[in-house]
Amino acid sequence: MKVEGSHTIPAPRERVWELLNDPDVLARCTPGVSKMEAEREGFYRATLQLSIGPVKGRFEGHMEVTDSREPEAMTLTIEGSGAPGGVRAVGHITLEQEGEQTVVSYHGQPQISGRLAAVGARLLSGVAKKLAGQFFNRLSEES
Amino acid sequence: MAKYVGARQKRVEDPRLITGNARYLEDVQLPGMLHAAVLRSPYAHARIDSIDTSAASRLPGVVAVFTGQDFADLNPLPCAWQAGGVTNNANTPRVLEIDKVTHTGMGIAVVVAEDRYAAEDALAHIEVAYSVLPTVVDAKKATEAGAPQLHENAPDNICMTWECGDQDGTDRALGASDVVIREHLTNQRLIPTAMEPRGAIGSYDPGTEEYTVWMTSQAPHVMRLLMTAFVMGIPETKMRCLSPQVGGAFGSKIFLYPEYPMVAVLAQKLGRPVKWTESRQENYIATTHGRDHQTDFEVGALRDGTITALKVTTYANLGGTLSTIAPGIPTSLYGSMLSGTYKIPHLHCQVYGVYTNTAMVDAYRGAGRPEATFVIERAVDLVARELNLDPAEVRRKNFIQPEDFPYEPASNLLNGLAYDSGEYEKALERALEQVGYREFRQEQQEARQQGRYLGIGLSSYVEICGVAPSKWVGLPGEGWGAGLWESANVRVHLTGKTVVTTGSQSHGQGLETTMAQVVADELGIPIEDIEVKHSDTMSTPFGYGTYGSRSAAVGTIALYNSVQRIKEKARKLGAHMLEASEEDVVYQDGNVFVKGSPEQAKTIQEIAGAAAVAYDLPAGMEPFLDDTAYYDPPNCTYPFGTHICIVEVDTDTGRVEIKRYLSVDDCGPVINPLIADGQVQGGITQGIAQALYEFAAYDDSGQLLTASMMDYAIPKAEHLPHFENSHTVTPSPVNPMGIKGIGEAGTIASAPAVVNAVVDALSPFGIRDINMPLTPQAVWRAIQEAGR
Repeated sequence: MKVEGSHTIPAPRERVWELLNDPDVLARCTPGVSKMEAEREGFYRATLQLSIGPVKGRFEGHMEVTDSREPEAMTLTIEGSGAPGGVRAVGHITLEQEGEQTVVSYHGQPQISGRLAAVGARLLSGVAKKLAGQFFNRLSEES
Repeated sequence: MAKYVGARQKRVEDPRLITGNARYLEDVQLPGMLHAAVLRSPYAHARIDSIDTSAASRLPGVVAVFTGQDFADLNPLPCAWQAGGVTNNANTPRVLEIDKVTHTGMGIAVVVAEDRYAAEDALAHIEVAYSVLPTVVDAKKATEAGAPQLHENAPDNICMTWECGDQDGTDRALGASDVVIREHLTNQRLIPTAMEPRGAIGSYDPGTEEYTVWMTSQAPHVMRLLMTAFVMGIPETKMRCLSPQVGGAFGSKIFLYPEYPMVAVLAQKLGRPVKWTESRQENYIATTHGRDHQTDFEVGALRDGTITALKVTTYANLGGTLSTIAPGIPTSLYGSMLSGTYKIPHLHCQVYGVYTNTAMVDAYRGAGRPEATFVIERAVDLVARELNLDPAEVRRKNFIQPEDFPYEPASNLLNGLAYDSGEYEKALERALEQVGYREFRQEQQEARQQGRYLGIGLSSYVEICGVAPSKWVGLPGEGWGAGLWESANVRVHLTGKTVVTTGSQSHGQGLETTMAQVVADELGIPIEDIEVKHSDTMSTPFGYGTYGSRSAAVGTIALYNSVQRIKEKARKLGAHMLEASEEDVVYQDGNVFVKGSPEQAKTIQEIAGAAAVAYDLPAGMEPFLDDTAYYDPPNCTYPFGTHICIVEVDTDTGRVEIKRYLSVDDCGPVINPLIADGQVQGGITQGIAQALYEFAAYDDSGQLLTASMMDYAIPKAEHLPHFENSHTVTPSPVNPMGIKGIGEAGTIASAPAVVNAVVDALSPFGIRDINMPLTPQAVWRAIQEAGR
């Protein structure tokens, strides 16, 4: 499965970069987050409550910024699991300034397991797009 | 005179089934019963680093949580069929896995709770730390260099290698052939999907130290043996196994699964009965799958269509661990049957049985023979195509003829087994005539002029069933190391009412009807006077259960033999009652009388009463009419026939429509045509399903993507044509009733008939083959690639 997309944020690139590295902003913008804390710089632990089609549940996991090229790109390693299954993914994010705005593009190939894969797989890329949309909309509001 | 055998007798089981009064496992409620739910690995290949059950244990309603360590004293499940030297590297599941999983869905912990909801909910609170390992799901890739290794004792993931026939002779014959055709075939993985999921209930009596286990099994006696002697290490006399009404199985309920000994041990540990039933999703990820072969073959032929040789290499995917009889399916039941209905002088088959990070693969309706029939029936069509001959003509030219029986195919059936009898050409001619073959070819030509693509597919099959002679399956190294005879007990009670018990087991086949039909005719009593009982180890003689189309050809023959001995005793007692000499009396239609004087008769009811009251028996005769027979067949039986499918392919959308489907099957004399038709139609449905719809898909990380009925395409009635079923009757010389068996024939014949029809329809595009399932996408893509 492939997840990819891009969103335009009405703010300069440096500002968007700042927002993307602020744990409080991330916690406010990520859909379904019930808890999120930065364990150390670039390493976050989070608890999310999500529903993907017939699969609902609580996921716990962590996200680590494994490669960071301020202010243009970062690579994230995400691992999460819960009763409905697990997700492991490496995601790539790029930021390009276009005038006063910034185009944030992301792509990754998550590996999913458990009921999430068995029952939710067909729905997952649609849900991922929707959740990403919510995230970037909120990020736009923060900017 | 036969009154019942051969009649379309309505099934005696049906009233209780259709009024909701049948008692399935889920209907069994025991006082104080607890409910179990199994935590299953979400990963296909992982080490289990730690399991923390403390939070789950504290939840309300939860009685106990166990992990693999709690069952460490139990042996792993046995693998009974040891083809290809599997003993050296067999890897089978444990009741719960302890340190490693090799496919998704393996059990690693169990919650036992006051109700099912509490048990299911608690699963989410068990914390497991896994180290995820690399995966491989494709059988051929699993054997290649650099593939992840599943088991230390199986280098390159090869579980077994097996071959049959003569390799050098086959190579030479291929070299001397006018044409040699090579093809790669995929026989995709299927999920049996019985209507009733699996389940089990364990109960333990501390006073007698006896276990009682209810289970959805096709073979309760075998389950008892495997659970006690092999897994738990207790005397088999300390366990009673029962299958209540079983709602379909198709092979998937032959096997011993981890949950069965688990509920027995849980009941003993907790002092209360414990029930476990699987969800549909568990059924998809943790019950066995079927097929999953990748095959390369070369077939050689002369210009006139005579087939000279067949060489086959197959990679059979067996899953992450071995199921109960897994190695036997792609070997003795597949490779040995590759000659089909044809005289192929040279044949060689090499099979690699391979471990991959997928669910276990074992017998699924037809078990090996659908895969074999698919190879040979596709090969014959490819020969016809290559030589521009009619596929019916190539079949005729190569058929084994009636005078050739008993026939030993070059694939070697082992231990002197040979095809029993057959009139293959007769069944083909009957089918061609019924379908109007010549007229169809005309119609096909005309349709093509109009841009419509019609196709016709033939499939002339032979299968091996009535498993099995113990001399065949009992042989160590090749067989099960166990016999496969069958048993029956006939008891004519004081009033003449008769109870029959059988070691066979009915899970939809209607055995309670067909067996009663045979007894009613043989004993000469009304069918209403007969009860057929099965599936309880306490009240039936030891038997091997129902699979491999064996309950008519083996189980019913045991019953037939038992009735003959009852009749002989009744005849002797009748003579005594008539004060006549034994040599002068006969048993006929339920009466014993002196030859020529039927008006002075003793009825079987009178004789049964006399045998039970027993105050006046001939010297030395034991009371009661009661007999147990054990029947070990001298050979398997070999049903055959021809199926024909006509399709129309919409070349714009790739959609295949089945216009007609016609079968001519020969299972010897038919006991009940109503039931035989049902078996054939259900079988054809599963074959059509494989050809057009079903496919168990795994992603590269070993996640089953088709783990629900939303994604796994079981056909509905609207997807199926009207079936035109008929029979020829060629008795088997193997048993006294001439019966061959009909349970699997439909599935075995049908997939190649459909694929041959679609390929025939698309022959103007130069299409030679399309991998199953022939979904609109697959067909459309093949048309596009062929470049219109």
